[in-house]
Amino acid sequence: MKFLLPVIGVLVLIFVLVAFPLSIEIIGGKLSVEFEVMIDLTKEYLGGIFTGDSFHYQEGIDRNPNFFSAIPDYFITSFMYLAVAIILAIMIGLLISAWFSRSRREWMKDLIGFLGMVPDFIMVLFLQLGTVYFYQATGHRLARIATRGVDEHAILLPLLTLTIVPAIYLIRSLSERTYDVLTDDYILTAKAKGLQRIYIFVQHVIRNVLPFLKADLHKVIAILMSNLFIVEYLFNISGLAGFLFNTSEYQFNLTTNILITLVVLYLVLYWFIRLFIACLERIFAHD
Amino acid sequence: MINWRLGLGIILTGLLVLVAIFGPMLAPYDEDYINPSGYYYNSSDDFGVISNPEPPSGKHIFGTDQYGYDILTLLLYGAKYTLLVGVLVALVRVVIGGLLGLINAIRTKNEKVGSSFGLLGSIPAFIIIYFVMAGIVVNSSLSMIELILLQSVLMTIVGIPGVYAAVFSKTKELKKNLYITASHSLGARSFRIAWKHLLPHLKATLMVMFVKEIILVLSLIGQLGIFNIFLGGTILRLGGEGVYLSVTHDWAGLIGQWRSFVYDYQWVLLYPLLAFVLIIFSFYILSRGIELKDKHGFKKYPHI
Repeated sequence: MKFLLPVIGVLVLIFVLVAFPLSIEIIGGKLSVEFEVMIDLTKEYLGGIFTGDSFHYQEGIDRNPNFFSAIPDYFITSFMYLAVAIILAIMIGLLISAWFSRSRREWMKDLIGFLGMVPDFIMVLFLQLGTVYFYQATGHRLARIATRGVDEHAILLPLLTLTIVPAIYLIRSLSERTYDVLTDDYILTAKAKGLQRIYIFVQHVIRNVLPFLKADLHKVIAILMSNLFIVEYLFNISGLAGFLFNTSEYQFNLTTNILITLVVLYLVLYWFIRLFIACLERIFAHD
Repeated sequence: MINWRLGLGIILTGLLVLVAIFGPMLAPYDEDYINPSGYYYNSSDDFGVISNPEPPSGKHIFGTDQYGYDILTLLLYGAKYTLLVGVLVALVRVVIGGLLGLINAIRTKNEKVGSSFGLLGSIPAFIIIYFVMAGIVVNSSLSMIELILLQSVLMTIVGIPGVYAAVFSKTKELKKNLYITASHSLGARSFRIAWKHLLPHLKATLMVMFVKEIILVLSLIGQLGIFNIFLGGTILRLGGEGVYLSVTHDWAGLIGQWRSFVYDYQWVLLYPLLAFVLIIFSFYILSRGIELKDKHGFKKYPHI
């Protein structure tokens, strides 16, 4: 029951959201929502699950491909970007927060805090503008500013954007935790025993910071998912979020399927990172 | 040490407020002024073509867009929508979320904040608003004010849980202090404890939270703008490839409608972007200033 309730909640939210644009009516400046349309659409979808109608969508004018044959590519594309970005973010977060927690330089905090506050789309647009400007000024191509066709993938800039935002969040939250751990008595004991700094960090500090990382994971992935939409849309990446906005016409079944797949992506990513942290624990927190 | 961040923050946000109020009066052109394009010929070595987008010059400080609208003028006219909605939505979020968090933290005994939100993280806030607004905002017959109100209410609802959770946990932390127990055992009611003991401590946190919420609301408006959901309405012009235009010229909408000026004519995109970053920077430095001003209490120091 404890696991079922959030799942049902999310599914209901998805159905209501996707049906919403189809069930509103604006006549003469009056807005009305027809809940019957919403219920009918949901019923039709649920009925279509058994006949398979719910898993076909319209592409172009006359093609009618199956959702399950198309989705793995999109799913893997999104997952690869996210997985690489979050692992980079965790490593950067752990490394920099160890150093940053001791720093008393307020301007560094200003800078990192500001970078954390700049919205993702601003970062993407500045990166694109900067790359084009650099090319026009020097003639060197630094990176692709958008994916074109099937072969030419933009990789560097999307990964950069997807990494920076969660990394900064982690630096900020983990450096506070690291600071707290550093003030604890067992660190003083270890220091009094004459253990080396690097040893104390590896053996005592990191292993005591890891639980906080685990607790923050949902928040980090939520941040990442919201970035994914902006990044895939602006860099024209054909991942799940890009798929959502690149359909020719608004299709209830397709949009619902993509959103449900995004929830699955979220879960897969979450457990993938839990596995990664378990590996880190094997290294840093083995007893 | 002088708190230069607070000073700079107050000056910058003050300037922004002035721009929002007096922008239309300061604007060099009318809101619907269109730079005429064509040939000009003054003498045999002073002739050429005027075409839009026109690069920044003395005549148009930030240049013009593809239709000939003066970018500086549009920014000055749009500032009030961006700022006003950002500030008001953040204020309502903090007031409602803060009150609920405070009341609930005083009343309940259990320590845990509801953590079943996990899965909901897979659907970002702006996607929720996107789906609600998508069918309403484009070429809408609703008035501009109604659309702004609708989007503001949605943005408020989406943000309240975050504020609530933060205030709840902060209040719980404060409640552990001995002076609360002392006051309680002396017979103080919940209201007195909240008013006399909790709120003075929460005041600075709430101020910082308010300023940071403004930034979050602005990013939310911006993210929606990227997907053509502009504050106050979107005009869709068909006939060829669809063109999306902002009704109010709010800054996030301008970025959204010009976001494809990456390869060429970059000034069209660059100046609205810089203006948006300026807002974010002003509020950020203000929040840092308030934060540092209030940094007191017991400070712990690391051993190594």
